[in-house]
Amino acid sequence: MKVNEVPQDITFYEGARRACYALDDQGKYVIVPSCGWSAEDVVNGLAVAELATNLEKTRQEVLKGLKSPLVYHMERRQMTPEILAKTVGILSIRVRRHFRPDVFSNLKSSILERYAYALKLTFDELKSVPEK
Amino acid sequence: MNIEITASGKPFVHNHSAHCESGVTSALFRDQGLDISEALVFGIGSGIFFGHLFFVKMVGLPITTFRSQPGAVFRKAGKRLGVKFVTKRFRNPQKGMAELRQLLKQGQIVGLTTNIYWLSYFPNRFRFQFNGHNLIALREIEGGFRVSDPVLEHPVDCLAEDLERARFSHGPLEPHGLMYYPSFVPQNPDIKKACIKGMKDTCNMMLRTHIPIFGVRGIRFLAKRIKNSPQKLGFHEACRHLGNIVRMQEEIGTGGAGFRFMYAAFLQEAGELFQSDELKQLSQEMTAIGDIWREFAVVSARIIKQRGKTEDTFDKVYDILMECAAREEALFRKLNEVVRKLKV
Repeated sequence: MKVNEVPQDITFYEGARRACYALDDQGKYVIVPSCGWSAEDVVNGLAVAELATNLEKTRQEVLKGLKSPLVYHMERRQMTPEILAKTVGILSIRVRRHFRPDVFSNLKSSILERYAYALKLTFDELKSVPEK
Repeated sequence: MNIEITASGKPFVHNHSAHCESGVTSALFRDQGLDISEALVFGIGSGIFFGHLFFVKMVGLPITTFRSQPGAVFRKAGKRLGVKFVTKRFRNPQKGMAELRQLLKQGQIVGLTTNIYWLSYFPNRFRFQFNGHNLIALREIEGGFRVSDPVLEHPVDCLAEDLERARFSHGPLEPHGLMYYPSFVPQNPDIKKACIKGMKDTCNMMLRTHIPIFGVRGIRFLAKRIKNSPQKLGFHEACRHLGNIVRMQEEIGTGGAGFRFMYAAFLQEAGELFQSDELKQLSQEMTAIGDIWREFAVVSARIIKQRGKTEDTFDKVYDILMECAAREEALFRKLNEVVRKLKV
């Protein structure tokens, strides 16, 4: 890759730029800041869109009363039940039980507080999902 | 170039680097008076690698790695250059943060391993649960820390709460608040000897592994899996898998083409160090291989975007990857010969 071939296509880094190694005119390697590449945008967009679709699906299910808001907030933080269980220090089998809305609504406030801290949410945010 | 002042009043120069771990390592060494570039650290620490871990899943997709395991570059580069270093993990987050504050007060800058999701200064699209990001804490400021993240252009502020979450996150490869810093750095280490060790180690890892998912064999293994993936998984799933490989190659701080360009930069520097034309030629060959990896990314992106409407098919991806494997194998075999002829 030559210096003038370093992609400067898009700016989805939100103003940030990342370092790329490229050859200058004398054939020496230098670090060139790049503000994005369209091929990378395609694959990143694919992953981001997939997360968003799954999250929206979960939100609808929570609103219908099929799942507890905990599932939504866990997915929003890109966690799996195992990671969430380790973060709050509750067995993952119990965490999965808390995904049921009837079980979740009867939880003690001390447990809810632990979930809220682990997911970096306030107490009220944890109990509901946003009404987009 | 950005200059920051640490708690001891010593200036710290922040250099923009392509890879977090080699960037942190070279900055820590430089702070102690050993001026060494990121590429040189990457080569000495044998950072380049290939592995397709089809059984380890992250967000449901298999991991493809273009580098050796996290922490290896710092450890190997330190050992080969004769650096003495301190590493510490903690059980208790409060203790871990208190110890960090104390070290920073003494004027020591500290390398930290963190989870990238909780670092809110990153653009949202790059934040995902990955416990292997490295950065340097420079000094404490009100409500947080001044950190130098080598992947970013400038040093940034990080909230204390965010940093604590990032250091003590859970999931695969838990960092446990890992922090590290050199306690003794030799002023005139034998860089040539270290380079030779690094290159030999790299050749072994790429060529002589017995496990078929690593090294050059790993690239062929991946190529075959990609070729069969549309029949096995269906077109949509195959695209997801392919997209993930390209993400691992380009997005996660690699300096382009899965570290191949960075290694070419190392070979070039080593070529100048040893006055060896052969190493310089190998550097050019590595650049050419990097360009093929970039082509692989372009073709894959086209397949994903146009959903099979072009002449680009998974078979073409297979051909490109097989060419990568063949040329990398030839390169590392040549490097293996060249490195044995080098004089310290």
